[in-house]
Amino acid sequence: MPKAHVRDFLTAFVKPLVGGGELHVGAPIPLAEVERWEGELDNASVELVAVDDARHAVLSTLVCRPPAFVLEGDELCLAAGLHNALFLVHPRAELWSFSDKQRRKIIETALALVSQPLSRNRTRVMARHALLNNLFHLSRNDTTVSWWTGRARFQGQKPPPRLTAWKGMRRVREEVTVVDFDELLAVPDTAPVIATLLRRTPLTQLLDSHPGAPPLHWEDAVFLLRDSELARAIAYRLVPDTGHREQVVGPARLAAAFEQMLERAPDEADVRAVAAFLVHLNALFCLGELNLREAGAKSPLISTVLSAEAAGQRPRGLATLFALPGALSLVDPRLSIPPGIESLPALAKRWMVHRQQTAELLSDAVVDALAQRLKRHLKPESRRDPSEVIALPNS
Amino acid sequence: MALEHVAQGQTRFFTPGVAPDPRGILLGRYCLMTFATLEGAVSWFRLYSSEASLDELLANLSIVKCRTALGSREIVVQIPAVSSYAADRSARLARLVGGAIYTGTSKHFVKYRDDRSPFGYDAVDIGAMPAGNDFMVHGDEFAQGYIREGELGFARLLFRLSIRKLPGGDRLGPDDRGELYLAVARGLADGIIRYLWRNRVEAQAGLFTPGSSSAFDDQVRDRGYMLIHVHGLPERILALFLGTPGIDVFRAAGANAAVAVGYEHPIDLASCASVFSPETFHVFWPNDRVDVLPGPLTLSDISDLTRVDLELDRPKDPQQHTGGPAESIGVELKLAASMGPPRRVVATLIPVAHGSRLKRILFALPPVSLRGHRVAATDRGILVIGSENLDVIPLGQLMYELAPGLLVPLGMDVVPRVSPEVLARALGHSAGLVTVFTTEGHPFQVSEGSFATLERRSLAKLEVDRAESVDYAADVSAEAQVVNDAVGRFALWGFPDAPDRKLLPPGEK
Repeated sequence: MPKAHVRDFLTAFVKPLVGGGELHVGAPIPLAEVERWEGELDNASVELVAVDDARHAVLSTLVCRPPAFVLEGDELCLAAGLHNALFLVHPRAELWSFSDKQRRKIIETALALVSQPLSRNRTRVMARHALLNNLFHLSRNDTTVSWWTGRARFQGQKPPPRLTAWKGMRRVREEVTVVDFDELLAVPDTAPVIATLLRRTPLTQLLDSHPGAPPLHWEDAVFLLRDSELARAIAYRLVPDTGHREQVVGPARLAAAFEQMLERAPDEADVRAVAAFLVHLNALFCLGELNLREAGAKSPLISTVLSAEAAGQRPRGLATLFALPGALSLVDPRLSIPPGIESLPALAKRWMVHRQQTAELLSDAVVDALAQRLKRHLKPESRRDPSEVIALPNS
Repeated sequence: MALEHVAQGQTRFFTPGVAPDPRGILLGRYCLMTFATLEGAVSWFRLYSSEASLDELLANLSIVKCRTALGSREIVVQIPAVSSYAADRSARLARLVGGAIYTGTSKHFVKYRDDRSPFGYDAVDIGAMPAGNDFMVHGDEFAQGYIREGELGFARLLFRLSIRKLPGGDRLGPDDRGELYLAVARGLADGIIRYLWRNRVEAQAGLFTPGSSSAFDDQVRDRGYMLIHVHGLPERILALFLGTPGIDVFRAAGANAAVAVGYEHPIDLASCASVFSPETFHVFWPNDRVDVLPGPLTLSDISDLTRVDLELDRPKDPQQHTGGPAESIGVELKLAASMGPPRRVVATLIPVAHGSRLKRILFALPPVSLRGHRVAATDRGILVIGSENLDVIPLGQLMYELAPGLLVPLGMDVVPRVSPEVLARALGHSAGLVTVFTTEGHPFQVSEGSFATLERRSLAKLEVDRAESVDYAADVSAEAQVVNDAVGRFALWGFPDAPDRKLLPPGEK
């Protein structure tokens, strides 16, 4: 049997992974084949350009000028690793003949493929995000065909026509169920592969997530907050223009990851960056309410998500998100208010309303506990505020 | 005396001759209604006839004058109980006019059902009837025996009742005027027939003499009159006839009766048509006069009754005429100077040579003056039609509109002066065409479609490029869907082990 060319893989798997469509999962790809494909990339310019165009289209909604990049070997490895992880939920991998040894081999190969070096290069991070932007939205249609004498389940495969023929006479019924990230990539076999893969694309983790996905590791992603364009894009993506509960899901997830970060030993600058970012998200909530009919009215968003009745439905990290400005005002007041908020009186007023309402709905204990945890990381004697103007002595 | 309520489904009763009908209501063969006076009975007939047909009751209907044991007199109307629905109606109307209703078959009649007992009543202790009584009625609190004194025929009652004048009854609608009868005195008959024939009123007439059984009638004097059956009599003629002595107008009431217009019989005669024998035709006059004419009426068409003038002494022989083609009487149309007042100018025909002058005027005219004007360039000239007075363009031959779309030079008139419709038909003029008479040559026609608004026509054609809108919105990416390809049985054959490389910590790239 002739060996598959990289252009087949690009067409059948990588391009749909980026731009949507049918991702064809076939036999697992050995490391040697991926290495051979890296050499063949030069001979697949048409498919390569199609993939890169699709990645540019993905990034065009994120930044003004997507950087120029070309699919390289490490991205090919990430895609091949994802392919092998998806093979672990292939119906062939669930047969009795598929031994545990073979399964371990494939998991290890997938882990080896996705264990590419971490990158903080802006272009590479964006290129990897463009490649894996659909990771949390992969789905599979499973068809269950039942007829008068039996039934069969086809996972991501079309039932053969012989089973669906003569629908009326054989009383054929087809039920299609959609399987998503939970059952594809959050199962025990694939979870470690996906966790490793996601650390390689922190931008994807910041922009998107799934309840079944591994939590964000802020230390891997904090460098993105120092890029103002990307930080702004992330902030705007996290606060969508939808219902109140949906608006706080993304910020609460990041706040939960921030809580985890505080339990570790992060760099102080990283803690400050993430805290400032979360405070900025709080300011965005205020900005969204500037057009309220009564300027001093209570925030409907905070009333909805922090109400005592909805305490049981609060997503993790939500209390931290809203308590953070209050806690920071006890630890480092400079971080507690987004810079420049005073220049917009309406926004400053909403900010005060939000803080008062948060203080009413969250107990002081929550704020104090968070302040204590922050104090462990933020030194009281901080560096000089760069915004202060130093008066030079007159000579 | 006690009455028991009949239960649903009850089939056995103490009262003889009664049985439940399909609805479970106790019913005998007859219903008996008692009224204190004859007026009550007449009121019942009057009400019943206006709601339903009396014909179905007439076969076994009897009106009896009865006397009770105590000497009081009552009028008893016995009707056949054809169904409980008819009996229900009879009961409702009898109670309305102060009567009582009972049901039974021969001698014992029990109270008919009411709201308190929807299935009727049964008399539980029917004893022997007192001697001399003809029949008994059983009510709530009493049982009353009756002795028959005499019977009153329904037909006799019907003819004894006087017809009543209806306020405004002589104003008939078109439907009521459809079938009318005229009783015309003999002396007026010829004139009326001629009058009707001249007014194209369809009518049939016949001469009738009312039947009489009295020996005191004057047999020598002819009491007959002309009865004319008219169809669709116009309102004005009806009013004329109603106001003319010697003419009486009747409205048909059923097939064999007619009632004077403006009057009404207390009982609806149409509902008791079987009273009237088919060999008779009853004419109900005012003042209690009822004429019985031999029926069915045999009438002759009045068109055959008109007077014929015959001059036998001057016979007219038919003359022979030969046919030939019709001679043309057409007159050539001409334009002649008009003597009438000046008309409104609606159009102008400008010679093609004066086109440049028109252009200059168009440049000079304000836009308000140009608005509403239409123009068509033809080989006979430039025709400008305005919505208002067009004297702002002092060029060409000014025209006015003789008929819509028919333009005639100002100060001229078309002779012979035929109506615009005739002229338009002769010219083949129709909607969508503009026909123009000129002082020189034949008139010409321009279709409305070739006219353009003057504002639009005054501009030269401009080249305008069409810009295409470009959508810069990012495409919504399709859903990424995993499809598992068939991998065969030996997909993992020879799959190598993973390299034993340390995964953590990875280096920065």
